[in-house]
Amino acid sequence: MSATALLEIESLSKSFGGVVAVSDCTMTIREGSVVGLIGPNGAGKSSVIDLVSGFEQPSSGSVRFAGVDVVGKRPDQISRMGMIRTFQTPREWRDLSVLDNVRVGRSDLERESLWRSLTSARRLRRQDALDTEELRELMAHYHLDELRNDRAVGLSGGQKRLLEFARIASAKPRLTILDEPMGGVNPVLGERIGEAIRELKKAGSTVVVVEHNLPFVEKTCDEVIVMDLGSVIAQGRFDELRDNKRVVDAYLGNDDE
Amino acid sequence: MLQYWTAILTEATIFGVLALGIDMIWGWAGDFDLSAYAYFALGVYMTIIMTVGKAKAPVEYVLGWRLPYLLAVVIAVVVVVAFASIIGAIALRNLRDVYFSITTFGAVWAIYYLVENFTPLFNGYNGVFGLFDPMGQHLSYNAYHYFFFAFCLLVLFLVYLLVQRLSTSPFGRMVRAVRDDERAASVYGRNVFWAKYRTYLFGAGLAGLSGGLFAAYIGAFNPLDWKPTEIFVLYAAILVGGRGNPRGVVLGSFIVYVGFVEMTRYIPSPAARPELGPALRQILIGLLIILMLKFRPSGLLPERLGTDGTSVQRSWRRWFTRSRRLPDPRPDDVASDPVIGVES
Repeated sequence: MSATALLEIESLSKSFGGVVAVSDCTMTIREGSVVGLIGPNGAGKSSVIDLVSGFEQPSSGSVRFAGVDVVGKRPDQISRMGMIRTFQTPREWRDLSVLDNVRVGRSDLERESLWRSLTSARRLRRQDALDTEELRELMAHYHLDELRNDRAVGLSGGQKRLLEFARIASAKPRLTILDEPMGGVNPVLGERIGEAIRELKKAGSTVVVVEHNLPFVEKTCDEVIVMDLGSVIAQGRFDELRDNKRVVDAYLGNDDE
Repeated sequence: MLQYWTAILTEATIFGVLALGIDMIWGWAGDFDLSAYAYFALGVYMTIIMTVGKAKAPVEYVLGWRLPYLLAVVIAVVVVVAFASIIGAIALRNLRDVYFSITTFGAVWAIYYLVENFTPLFNGYNGVFGLFDPMGQHLSYNAYHYFFFAFCLLVLFLVYLLVQRLSTSPFGRMVRAVRDDERAASVYGRNVFWAKYRTYLFGAGLAGLSGGLFAAYIGAFNPLDWKPTEIFVLYAAILVGGRGNPRGVVLGSFIVYVGFVEMTRYIPSPAARPELGPALRQILIGLLIILMLKFRPSGLLPERLGTDGTSVQRSWRRWFTRSRRLPDPRPDDVASDPVIGVES
């Protein structure tokens, strides 16, 4: 495993009014790893993701992504540095076709200039057509090729999850943050999602997974970070944490009880 | 009778340009803008005061230039876009949905009362007038009107080509992604405000252009000629034709302007109640909006999907199928999914 840190979070805090969501949270995500972020509801996992991805601004503390301070940047600026996150529910672009969802996912921002869209429409269309082959392969990989010309809103919940992965794969991010990718997902599809995460890693992306499904986390993640009450209480391999008293008390639960 | 039809069709053509602009803002970017009629009116006022020359007392207005008509229209569009850039920057920065609409509606009424009551600007309640026959006196009265209709038709056609090109471009796709889910769009690197803002200014520019055309058509303009609420007729046109589909929007403009606004003139009003006819027309337009939303919310020509060109339903077949804006499937649909397989 490479030792360089891709994401460094230091004494991050955030309070909403009187509620402290994140307090003095410090963690490091190494490049190339798949990290599970677990903890009871309200532990501050999603808040940390919002702070890292720019949707919320921290009260104090710092976030460095690939060595650059991202506090104060907008979500789209952080995204262009190579970070893609998901939300707890799939967020497809509902009235775009599945194919267009993946096309926008590629984030080829230069093509989207208003001026170029007016002046060189034909060339842009040709470029789109050239990409289609590659994108169809990608969609076929996620069982979406048959549905490529359908409106994304008509997909089932599971297909929307897969579309999310296809979109991420086409964007080729350096860091992927998945917020509960297994929510509302059946076991068969769960297998497929675990595979998709491993494929992301193979493609060179570092992955952070927020998840409550612990067997899934154990199977998928190289390393686990446990949060409680807004800060990190443990970090390490899953089997090491099984014996950690604080983790057991906070989250895993005790069989004797 | 021919002149009558020419007049109606000219009007429909001019409002087609305006509808295309509003559709960019609402259909593509998803912002239900209510101030577009102010941009249209500003386009009319600017064009008139830049072509009719100095104001003679007691009439008063600003500028009072005597520019060639086409140059005046171009400047009017620039002024409208500059003006929209202020309202857009305020309304689009943090406000969405109904809050955006309220803000733009407030803006249009503020402008309306300013124009009506602050006489030095555009002569207040009495309005500005005098623009007639921008071609000079080279054509006879009738020939001029036919010519002007053809000119408007040409402008509409060019604007349609431009908008259609933009609609199917990567820019149009990106703006629609922002419309459908702006958080997801920003996760994929799109600057949401900038995407919406550019679309807004482009739409406002088209509103200004249609105002420039209307100035030559109507020749005089005062606050009685425009009410901010008239924008709902344009929204009716967009709904009928197909929100987000430029071809549909042009079709809808003609259907609503020729079919509803003009044809309902023939509704007889009893001599004692002359206001019944116009009121009935408003009621019919309201009814049209409701019926379209109930039975064909995506319009006669629905927004086109970006596909790879295969296995696309022919548009005439879509006529017989219900709207394709499907309800969100419930999460348990996964269980019976043919692609992913049944629950184990």
